[in-house]
Amino acid sequence: MSRPGLLDGVRVVDLSMGWAGPLAARHLADMGADVIKVEGCVRFDWWRGWEATQEWINEGGAEKSSAFNMVNRNKRDVTLDLSTERGSELLKGLVAISDVVVENYSSAVLTKLGLHYEVLKEANPEIIMISMPAFGTDGPWQGYRAYGSTVEQASGLPHLSGNADDPPTMVHVALGDAVGGITGGAALMTALRNRHRTGRGQYLDLSQSQGLFPVGIQGILTQSATGKPPARLGNRSARFAPRGVYPCVGDDEWIAIEVRSETEWRALKDFADLPDLGPVEERLRRVDEVDLAVAAFTRGQVAEVLMFELQALGIRAGHVASGLELASDPHLSARSFWKLMEREYVGELPHPAAPYRQGDEPFDIDRPAPTLGEHNREVLSQLLQLTDAEIDDLEAEGIIGNKPRLE
Amino acid sequence: MSVAAEAAADAAAETAAEPDAALVGIKVLDVAGTIATGYCGKLFADHGADVINVEPPGGFETRREPPFVPRVDAPENSALHAYLNTSKSSVVLDAEANPRELKELARGAQVVLDDGSFEVADFADLAPDVVVSTITWFGRTGPYAEFQGAGAVCWALAGLVRNVGPAEGPPIIAAGCGAEIVGGLTAYIGTLGQVVAREMGNASGPARLDTSILEANLCFTEVGGVGGYRSGHRGRRLGINRFAPTYPLGVYACADGWLGVTALTPSQWKSFCTLLDMEEYADVPQYQTAIGRLYDYDVLEPVIKEQVKDRSSWELVRRGQDMRIPLAPVPTMEELFVTDQYVARDAFGEVATATGQTFKAPSTPFRLFKTPGASGGRAARLGEMNAELLT
Repeated sequence: MSRPGLLDGVRVVDLSMGWAGPLAARHLADMGADVIKVEGCVRFDWWRGWEATQEWINEGGAEKSSAFNMVNRNKRDVTLDLSTERGSELLKGLVAISDVVVENYSSAVLTKLGLHYEVLKEANPEIIMISMPAFGTDGPWQGYRAYGSTVEQASGLPHLSGNADDPPTMVHVALGDAVGGITGGAALMTALRNRHRTGRGQYLDLSQSQGLFPVGIQGILTQSATGKPPARLGNRSARFAPRGVYPCVGDDEWIAIEVRSETEWRALKDFADLPDLGPVEERLRRVDEVDLAVAAFTRGQVAEVLMFELQALGIRAGHVASGLELASDPHLSARSFWKLMEREYVGELPHPAAPYRQGDEPFDIDRPAPTLGEHNREVLSQLLQLTDAEIDDLEAEGIIGNKPRLE
Repeated sequence: MSVAAEAAADAAAETAAEPDAALVGIKVLDVAGTIATGYCGKLFADHGADVINVEPPGGFETRREPPFVPRVDAPENSALHAYLNTSKSSVVLDAEANPRELKELARGAQVVLDDGSFEVADFADLAPDVVVSTITWFGRTGPYAEFQGAGAVCWALAGLVRNVGPAEGPPIIAAGCGAEIVGGLTAYIGTLGQVVAREMGNASGPARLDTSILEANLCFTEVGGVGGYRSGHRGRRLGINRFAPTYPLGVYACADGWLGVTALTPSQWKSFCTLLDMEEYADVPQYQTAIGRLYDYDVLEPVIKEQVKDRSSWELVRRGQDMRIPLAPVPTMEELFVTDQYVARDAFGEVATATGQTFKAPSTPFRLFKTPGASGGRAARLGEMNAELLT
């Protein structure tokens, strides 16, 4: 088995770091594109580590990040010191034989390096290049620094979730990144289609914070279509009751339940022996009682068992999983969602499947994330026809390498 | 011709030619009408594909999804439905009772968006390269395949609920239909990938592509899954706006609104302390790592709250960003539409219901500069294209 060849013949230079850009490129890699990740020994992907010390480098710290290893599988890796003329020339050489460039530096970084779109377009007039900064490449915030958390904050989404009395509530350590990544994947695929049809490349940008607007779409449209801000209801719903997260047996065990119809309510009421709390209009009025009654029942139940029991009755229920449980989730396991692969420095790591598949099995994954500069020799000799001696010189000059260096 | 004249002529030719939208020539049928297929189809439609909604007699379920536009009658009053369905056609057809008409509608289609109700053979006769893109909550196999889905259930199972909300619980489910949107967006990548592969000659023939909304949403938490696998620990919910390993991170009340804070690296922490006049904390050895600061949350949090509460969030953002600290305002829904960055980027376009009532809605978050996508427009009335498209 190997990954599908859907994008056979498409080559991607992935200059991006962190989460969003690499995830965008991962979608192309999973479908068969040749994705070459370009880092530097000094400017290595900060997701390898953002608190580098010499001790950390000596211990191979740069190769041990789960986060890095997760979003960079199926890619090759070269190191090029882009602040040197030679490194910059080699990058242009790669761009000349590629279809796509992905970058998510803070704005102005590539311009300072002399490697922005106008320059790379000279190396390859039909290149597709995407920049995916937090807020887009123009506007007053174009230079703003941001993480995925900043993006979630600036999107306004924290005003939609949580209880009315609590501060605006974030839902993730870096919500913007994951959505930015898939939005970037969507943008790139759109541009690839246009390029294949017309032969024309182009520049793309995306704003990661705007990428979150569709995720909060009902809240945004509530404001714009009705003129009123959406209510923050915690786990409750304006339409359904019961709807919430209820305690179960054990330490910090919970189940999410959403009852959408009277049929489902009757099924739950009978199964759990709940009091008659009337039709949905009445249950919404008496929602405190409803939640207390449901919680009194769930407290004696095992979350995962109860989920299967309620689902068998047609009731929407899901236990509140932790990361640990994801790795052993019976459904994901039955679908071969995680693929265990041996990765240098860390041993066996589970790799998540692409979320779309043909047939019962997921797309296969060819290889785990590359080590720093793992494919220097392979890429430079095969794609740029450098001789062994030239590659040795690059190594000696520190333009390429396999170990991070402190600045 | 001089170089300059050549460049000018090139530019003129490019603007005069008005290139087609990126997805022109692609025909898409939506036979499901869920939020997920609706959003997937929207991305196709916004970029020039011909998207036909094949609605059952009562209309797609998205027509009954809130919010609703005041003073508009059902089934044209859902703002969410209008947002999802601008630039698409609508026909009404009881598809299961009229398989021949359905096949005819699908003639030459590259994509059918489905929720698992149809088979590839239902379309392939007249659409030999069709990709039936099936978007379901849990995929078509596995122990949850027959589960009833909902955003709450999906995000609970995806691990996206457990770490949100007060430490003592209950954990909080994020509001809205984001799970379905993420499913539709992810399916768009895979589906368009199949179309591109066929056009490039890397694939051929009819096929089904299955997207699991749950698996699409694991993009948020897959790192946690691997972390759990490696550590064997479940981790604990730390409280509202507290997420390991980053601190400070959160939403803080200022005099004029809310401030979003993240300070991850040692230099960001030092600058943050300078900005907020709390320099005595800048060089404490334990505070040189994000996780070290998180351990001292109880010490640092009251100080930060106190230092920001009487200041202007917008001023702190401006000054903080000058010092390279990732700070941002946290605009309310009302403020969102007038936030300078979003105004400058035309982040919101105008959507109209079939009856012509308009409201603002997000534009596509990505821009293709040569072949830009549409932003906004009017949604089709239920069955508006019946006469044109049904024979």
